[in-house]
Amino acid sequence: MTQQRVRRSSWRALLLVPVLGLCLGAGEARAQLPSTAVASGAPDEGNDRVEAALLTDVAQVKAGDAFRVGVRFRMDPGWHIYWKNPGESGLASEVTWDTPGTTVGALQWPAPSTFRTSDGYITTYGYADEVLLFAEARASAQAQGSLQLSAAADVLVCEVHCLPAQLMLTRNLPVGPQTQPDPAHESAFAAAHSRVPVAPESSGHAVTLALDTKPLTAGQPFTGTLTVTAPKGQPVPAVEKDFFVPERIPGIARLALSPVAGRPGTFKLEGEAAPDVPAQEPRLAGVLRLGPPGAAALTVSLPLASVVAAPGAPVAAPVAKAVAAPASAAVAPAVAAGSSLSLGLVLLFAFLGGALLNLMPCVFPVLALKAYGFTRTVHAERGQVGLHALAYAGGIVGSMLVLAGVVLALRAGGSSVGWGFQFQEPLFVAAVAAVLVAFALNLFGVFNVGTDGTALVEKVDSSHGFSRSAGEGVLAVVLATPCSAPLLGTAVGFALAAGPATVLATFFMLGLGLALPFCLLVLVPGLTKLLPKPGAWMERGKQLLGFALLGTTVWLVWVMGGLTGVDGMARLLSFLAVVGLGAWMYGLVQGASGGRKAAGVAAVVAVLAVGGLLSLRFEETGPAVRKASMVAESQPWDEEAVAAALKAGQPVFIDFTADWCLTCKFNERTVLTREDVRAAFAQHNVAFFVADWTRRDARISAKLAEFGRAGVPMYLVVSPAAPDKPEVLPELLTSDSVTDAVRRAAGRLADAR
Amino acid sequence: MKPYFTAVALAVMLPVAALAADTAQVGKPAPAFTLKDEAGKEHSLSQYKGKVVVLEWTNPGCPFVQRHYTADTMQKTFSTLDGKKVVWLAVDSTASNTPDKSAAWKKTEGFSYPVLQDASGTVGKAYGAKTTPHMYVIDEQGVVRYAGAIDDDPRGNKKEGTTNHVKTAVDALLSGKPVPAATTEPYGCSVKYKS
Repeated sequence: MTQQRVRRSSWRALLLVPVLGLCLGAGEARAQLPSTAVASGAPDEGNDRVEAALLTDVAQVKAGDAFRVGVRFRMDPGWHIYWKNPGESGLASEVTWDTPGTTVGALQWPAPSTFRTSDGYITTYGYADEVLLFAEARASAQAQGSLQLSAAADVLVCEVHCLPAQLMLTRNLPVGPQTQPDPAHESAFAAAHSRVPVAPESSGHAVTLALDTKPLTAGQPFTGTLTVTAPKGQPVPAVEKDFFVPERIPGIARLALSPVAGRPGTFKLEGEAAPDVPAQEPRLAGVLRLGPPGAAALTVSLPLASVVAAPGAPVAAPVAKAVAAPASAAVAPAVAAGSSLSLGLVLLFAFLGGALLNLMPCVFPVLALKAYGFTRTVHAERGQVGLHALAYAGGIVGSMLVLAGVVLALRAGGSSVGWGFQFQEPLFVAAVAAVLVAFALNLFGVFNVGTDGTALVEKVDSSHGFSRSAGEGVLAVVLATPCSAPLLGTAVGFALAAGPATVLATFFMLGLGLALPFCLLVLVPGLTKLLPKPGAWMERGKQLLGFALLGTTVWLVWVMGGLTGVDGMARLLSFLAVVGLGAWMYGLVQGASGGRKAAGVAAVVAVLAVGGLLSLRFEETGPAVRKASMVAESQPWDEEAVAAALKAGQPVFIDFTADWCLTCKFNERTVLTREDVRAAFAQHNVAFFVADWTRRDARISAKLAEFGRAGVPMYLVVSPAAPDKPEVLPELLTSDSVTDAVRRAAGRLADAR
Repeated sequence: MKPYFTAVALAVMLPVAALAADTAQVGKPAPAFTLKDEAGKEHSLSQYKGKVVVLEWTNPGCPFVQRHYTADTMQKTFSTLDGKKVVWLAVDSTASNTPDKSAAWKKTEGFSYPVLQDASGTVGKAYGAKTTPHMYVIDEQGVVRYAGAIDDDPRGNKKEGTTNHVKTAVDALLSGKPVPAATTEPYGCSVKYKS
């Protein structure tokens, strides 16, 4: 009973100025209505086949009082309009209200009649002659003067042929000290109300259903028995032909009830499940007309049974909506296309993708750091090189597995996650920035980890060395995630759509790939000799690397700006200052021993905790802070805008990006802003869309998953000639690959013309 | 050549007709038929085996059909489908229809696919066509894979996000995937069968 929607102001402007005043004198009902409250339509052979009038059951209403408002339809003989379920053809009637100052409830539908074509082949449900579709309404407590009531009726009027009619009705209802019934129309509302089906309980009836088989099988017939028990002491009335009017029931193709001879109140149910398995258990819903025409009708709404697919039949997925609601898109959809990849290939992709990550700009600072570390290790503790490489690889693989675990946990909780997703979380960004600053200060010599600095040279604490190597492995993973590399997107995308074991295996291989260069260094004899000899330059080199880490911190501060705005950046910088202070304090007490050191460490912890509590409160800013894209004439990604551009014949380029995605930024800077690329875009009239995934966006996550990806960057080139077959460009763009793809997309259009 | 072709078509069709269900059901073989188009050329379902066949029940007098042709829904859907793999056949089961009417209408609307003449309503009823438009998609093996409405916009007032069920179904079939929604509620005028 929620057919009608209260829609305001969409068409109010189109209406005629309401006629002032209202005739309140006695007289013929018709004469009381202003001319704007009646309309006729569906012209046919010189006649309008339907006439509609906007009626109320009161002539005047008191502010805050309830009344009824409805649209009365009168059809020419032989013509009819349709119920909310029109049946096998036709179209449900629709009434849309526009009633400022008045709330209008759901449309009430009197029990419909059943119509059949003369050959009995097509059955429909609706109303012939006259019907009043009405709703309960209430005037606002502040109402004054008069209420403007408007209704737009959209009906299909059929005899043998069908004519659509859109009727606009509007009138004013005076507001006065008392609510006065309208004698001319009160009875019409009472009659219509008495024909609206009621729930069985409210009339003392009981309706039960017993199915012969459960569950139902898609595409297969089923049977059952419906029993109607009358209120105590009353016989169940006989039923007329076509006593049952089913509603539209998703998942059910056909449904019929027939009386069982000799058993009043018992009906045989015969139906057939639709070939598709419905998302929800279908209900037996409809209207039972008991007794002679005009007698009360009952609503029926009983659960049927769940529907299962026939053995061997494919289970159809629900039709995806063009724009998925955020709630429904929260779970990453399975990647059906990905199933063409074998697991072995995916693991190979993951390994190669991980290895290629080393060449991406994100991992570089760590790589440099590690290379420096190795230079020292190789010469100072030859025997330990293998163990250090193992520790480094262990740190990488271990944290990859932790990452996989987090991904699985989040996915189990219904969140949509992807590669690099953690950079959508301000606290995570802050934590990584803090670690980087602490690391940098360590390299500057502000403090030393786990040793008393004085004894560093003599006492090469091997365990400390290994934990440091492992820590560097962790850092490499943390910093690698905002980068994507060729093959990596495909592998992770596949894994995220697959089972937990695949996710773990893929991330494990990714880790091995990332650790590959240093493992090679160890495994390939002679390679270590290529490293420079240690010396005084190493101290300077170490400090220089500290600045590289600070540079990475600058980028994280910028990412934070995209997530939380200028305030968030300031808060992060304050926190980083506190981290620096803590590191400096720790450096002061490091050489001390016993109680003094413990007190110092406690002070450091206190400073960090207080600083963190004060500064680390990030609020996400609204979406309006989107920075101007580096690419000219771009527009935010939106399925509708893309469709519109394609419709207009424009090739479309979609850039799925994020501020924290360095590969994306690299591509934008080195390729997408190039003069020849921009010229190609201009020449082919390409519409450039930017899908910004800096913050969580379920629509973008869903779109990435559609192409088997779990993260950015992703580049789509869509030709208007083949809007459903976008071309996916590789993660690393070249100006040739972009211009060629754009030319192909435009060329396809030319071919199609 | 033509009689030979017809003979082959009949030979292929007869056993298929024996196997086919008496009404079209999704997942079952499509009822076989041979109908003449508005130009008098015969079309048999069996001759299109190996291709995806779209059947469009139509009636130029129906306001729903008129709306879709004015908006180019059918013409556009047809043009986006791969002509080498997909055949589009309009079927008019209106009792009062004549080949001349179809030919004139085809000219006005400017589309190229044939309008099969089914004034007796035999084929329409074999398929269980209830409305105009009422759409069926038949796969390369002659099995019905979709039956229902052309799209999810019965009133023609959706401003965006209309799902074209026929295009979705054909695309799914051509890429070897199951059709996402195998049946939908058709909407429109009732088919004006001979009675």
